[in-house]
Amino acid sequence: MKSEKGSARKGLLADLLFIVIMVAILIPIYFIFPSKMMAAEILIMALPTLSFILLLGYTGLLSFSTGSLFAVGAYTAGILLSRHQAHIFVAIFAGVAMSGIVALVMGYFCIKRGGLIFSLLTLAFNQLIWFIIWQWKTFTGGPDGIWGIHRSSLSLGGWVINLKPTFNFYIFVILFFLLVFIFVRRLIGSPFGKVLLGMRESELRATAIGYNPETYKWIAFIISGMICGVGGALFALHQEYVGEHLANWFTSGEVAIMALLGGAFTIQGALIGSAVFIFLADFLNKFKVLSQSGAWLLVLGVVFILVVMFFRGGIYGGFEKVLEWVQKKERKGHAEGGEINER
Amino acid sequence: MINIDAIISQVFNGIQFGVLMALLATGLSLIFGMLGVINFAHGSLYMLGAYFVWTCVRLLNFPGNFWVALFLTVPFLALVGFIIEKILLQRMYGQPPSYQILITFGLMLVIQQGVALVYGTIPLPLGIPSSFAGEVNLGLLRYPIYRLFTMVLGLAIISAVWFFVERSTLGAIIRASAEDPETAKTLGINTRTVYTWTFALGSALAGIGGGLHAPLIGGLQHSIGVEIVLISFIVVVIGGTGSIRGALLGGILLGIVRGIAGVFWAPASDFVMFVTMGIILLFRPQGLLGRGAAQ
Repeated sequence: MKSEKGSARKGLLADLLFIVIMVAILIPIYFIFPSKMMAAEILIMALPTLSFILLLGYTGLLSFSTGSLFAVGAYTAGILLSRHQAHIFVAIFAGVAMSGIVALVMGYFCIKRGGLIFSLLTLAFNQLIWFIIWQWKTFTGGPDGIWGIHRSSLSLGGWVINLKPTFNFYIFVILFFLLVFIFVRRLIGSPFGKVLLGMRESELRATAIGYNPETYKWIAFIISGMICGVGGALFALHQEYVGEHLANWFTSGEVAIMALLGGAFTIQGALIGSAVFIFLADFLNKFKVLSQSGAWLLVLGVVFILVVMFFRGGIYGGFEKVLEWVQKKERKGHAEGGEINER
Repeated sequence: MINIDAIISQVFNGIQFGVLMALLATGLSLIFGMLGVINFAHGSLYMLGAYFVWTCVRLLNFPGNFWVALFLTVPFLALVGFIIEKILLQRMYGQPPSYQILITFGLMLVIQQGVALVYGTIPLPLGIPSSFAGEVNLGLLRYPIYRLFTMVLGLAIISAVWFFVERSTLGAIIRASAEDPETAKTLGINTRTVYTWTFALGSALAGIGGGLHAPLIGGLQHSIGVEIVLISFIVVVIGGTGSIRGALLGGILLGIVRGIAGVFWAPASDFVMFVTMGIILLFRPQGLLGRGAAQ
């Protein structure tokens, strides 16, 4: 009992340390950004990327439904904010819940067929949701999207905070980002995460012990859907507009690219991938030749193929390799000094 | 009032579209069954086929140029497929399947945007070849000859591929390499070569599908492959992976359902495809003609 309490306290401490470090990094970074809107966008897009990585890295399922689940969160929050003047927290919560419900239904159909068929099915469902959004003009605005979302007043008890200035909103996004990030870290360390990892290594063995892989994958899918929902709801606030293109499978593809760029099997890769992608897109679009013809996508595609072929660990993976190399060198140094240091 | 003629005509259009989708799905299914790769770039190869025909028709200025162009798409797309497999996919075998999906996704972006860069984004019209312009009286209705022709040729090609894969010696080699690569290797089969040629064959099927369909599309655009690849994925899922007959059945079923739904409410035509897929998956998760729990 005592040790359990101790480890819980240790976990809390680690989380607090993590928060302090991240805040210390993220806040100064804001002032370096050339475009202030980009800072918040990177953190927001890291959330669907995180959900993609969680699913691919821990269950081996490659989902193409991140775009639609992201859009469900965005539309739910957007509709509540623009038409019903809902409280911002209520809107975000509803967006998350709605994405979770959609993921629950989608997962029911998709999880049964694992592997590559899962990817195809999530892709089909993604397009189904896009199609509904595109056609249901009276509710979703169809091709026009949803306008009139305002983030100007967030009332907390007696306080009213104006989220309109980009810096205020950036802080607001950091809070949610850290919340989700810590949640995912905790989830991975939890017994649930351990079961998922065990299942990824050997589904047969996990089944033999008595875990039902389908149920666990389903839950993981729902959780990852809800994380997409957080991102979507924040994105609606960020753009103060929601468009149908979010639900298209190209968004899912973009998320996949971000995940691979960052490193598809580490949660830290989500933030790096989203940052690199958004910087790259911004940079490529600065050239008129590239942005007008859509050729920046061509460059992006080439970069992506090269990453998949030659740098499978992504940027974070490369970073880790360098660290490993440095550590190895250090260890060698120790060994030469006569110290025998096993492990 | 909904008249019967409109429904019959839509059923025919549905079958015609379905055969075309089956042509694509056959290639997709072959590649998936043999190489275990879901080819997102399949729609881009279809689009390349259509653009290739358009270009050839412009370049070759003599009667019957369309047929020459259509014929040439087969070697051209086979070559493209050959190169793609050799350069990109061959390095990916043995890697997690997700990487293969993602690499074909990147390839799709590259081909699509490359075509946009060369041909621009304005739709390019391609007329129906003049010798096939009229209509033919089928008793029930008068039907455009060219559509009928694509139906017949599509069916012929699919039958030929089925015969090749399921009945010929070369087909037996392909099936053997897919089902048990290790044993196939010990029997002296070079599985790598088999994979390369299977991918080339699948690409050629996508290309000829694009070439055949090109005159029926109002105007060619670089994005035509995107919607098509989604529909052919659905056909593969409905028909059952790795089954050519399943692809044909799934394609025609989907085409008819889509056509009839279109009579009642045009936007519903896309919606019913997903509903059909959902219903079939509920009752037959392995698809109509899929082989049990093939994974």
